[in-house]
Amino acid sequence: MTQTDTGPGAPAEADARLKLSAAAGYADVPLAEKERLFDEVRADPRFGDYLYGCYECGICVAVCPSARFYDFSPRRIAQAAAREDAELVYQQMVEDIWECSQCFSCVRCPRGNNPGGLVTIMREVAINNGLASAKEALVGYSRIIYKIMSTGTQVSPDMLQEDAFPDWGPETADVSVNLDLWRRALPPETLHTTNTGWKVADSTLIELYLIWLHTGALDMIADVDPSLHAILTEVMEERLEEEGIEI
Amino acid sequence: MSFDTVAVIGGGPGGLRAAHGIAEIGGTALLIEERDFLGGTPIAENYAGLTPHGEPARPQIQAMIDAVTASPGVQVLTSTVVTAVSGEPGAFTLTMRGPDGERQAECGAIIMATGFGHFDPGRETQMYGYYEFPDVITLSDLESMLSDHKVVRPSNGEPPKRVCFVQCVGSRDRHIGNEYCSKVCCGVASKEAIEVRQLVPDSKVYIFYIDMRMYGYWENEIYWPAQEKHHVQYVKGIISEVLAKGDRLLVRGEDTTMGRPMELEMDMVVLSVGMEPSPGTKKMARLLGVQQNKYGFVDAVKVPLDTVTTSREGVFACGAALGPADLEDTVSSAANAAMKAIAYLRSRAAAAAS
Repeated sequence: MTQTDTGPGAPAEADARLKLSAAAGYADVPLAEKERLFDEVRADPRFGDYLYGCYECGICVAVCPSARFYDFSPRRIAQAAAREDAELVYQQMVEDIWECSQCFSCVRCPRGNNPGGLVTIMREVAINNGLASAKEALVGYSRIIYKIMSTGTQVSPDMLQEDAFPDWGPETADVSVNLDLWRRALPPETLHTTNTGWKVADSTLIELYLIWLHTGALDMIADVDPSLHAILTEVMEERLEEEGIEI
Repeated sequence: MSFDTVAVIGGGPGGLRAAHGIAEIGGTALLIEERDFLGGTPIAENYAGLTPHGEPARPQIQAMIDAVTASPGVQVLTSTVVTAVSGEPGAFTLTMRGPDGERQAECGAIIMATGFGHFDPGRETQMYGYYEFPDVITLSDLESMLSDHKVVRPSNGEPPKRVCFVQCVGSRDRHIGNEYCSKVCCGVASKEAIEVRQLVPDSKVYIFYIDMRMYGYWENEIYWPAQEKHHVQYVKGIISEVLAKGDRLLVRGEDTTMGRPMELEMDMVVLSVGMEPSPGTKKMARLLGVQQNKYGFVDAVKVPLDTVTTSREGVFACGAALGPADLEDTVSSAANAAMKAIAYLRSRAAAAAS
């Protein structure tokens, strides 16, 4: 694995007149490395179905929710790939692809392109190559990953703190004060939990952990967040030992 | 010759189709061509493949020539120009100058098939260095290379690694005075771009455009394959100038959809020169006294539903004499003109008999 990316950096020092390539920046990353990553994107078997040719019409941007809130453009994603612009594709893998919500509204492209699908591939390549942007993007998810892997459920009621979910409104604060009471008011007993979404059997948890282990999901976490990986391993080793399972 | 003859001026695809059409429906035609050969611009400029499907041009045009020369109803005069017209509709007398000196012929109707000329990219405000850099060429220069199956930089004979087409050269420009779209250059450039990619597979080919006008089936038959299969790069933004950089060319423009200025090095720059009325079209229009538009093309005065009738009774026009036209337009309007001319003569004859 090669550590290549340097975060959003200063403008490239390349020939200022050659703005087509220099606009992408990241001049400290060799072009050959950017091309290698782009080749990896293009080599994906889905690539041909996700990109035909781009009219540059902007319908994908018009329907893109992320484009309304971020400096993100599915058109530019498709264009950069169509133009075989490895510099710009690299820039997007560092800066843009994490702003896509993967809703795939962009598939209404008249040419049949799937810019969101290109983002999927680019994300996978970014993660597989350990780009710093992938780590940064996943930091926000580390709490959720930890939750899923250690408890078997994703968002738990006690995560719904006002500071973490301001968009949920003022009710979040009211609910969190007497969370346990609110939860016990729910009819199904399996929902009388606060630190997990619902009651999860230990055997389910072990099973999930083994799936993540064998599919390589844990290795990916090790790549992007070694400390999270260390905690998870420790927690799960204990559980596995309790269950008498050896890996 | 007599007044039941239709004179067809111009022996390109339009004139050939018109003359053949007249013969096909039992009329007689006099086909007059200024050059010493038939076939018009596709032959004169050594076209490689016909747009859109790229069939070899020469055999296709030759088949049209053969059809005309094999028709007993058509008399062909090459190396001949019309110098005067007298008489009246239904009974014109043409004065012509040819290899054997001056001669006259009678005809009842006239079809102008005098065609177009390519815009001269050295004219006016063009900054593309056509007469300065050997590697700056036009669509028709490249077409000629393609018919020899050899695409090389004129400066050094090497295959080009980077080629770009600059669209709308001499079209859609108020400064030049040609405000109209030349209609075929988008398709022709895209067809040529595909051929360049096929002949020089490791080349990178760009098309810099204002709008891509790939109407009808040209869209899926040329544009999409060029982009999707042959990876021709379409960049919306027109080149402002071409400069020398070492032994290459530097093109300057804006990548408008990316919102950034650009300067790119090219080995070869192809100017997609538009259509203007040929000198013959302007000269014959004046001579025959038909109304021309401000660009010098012949006005079809009954458009849209009659595309070939001119301002002068008994005189019809077809193809690119009327304005920018592709081959499909040209042969269609030529057949239409043939039909209209014969119908005109027959209606006069019927009126005279009754």
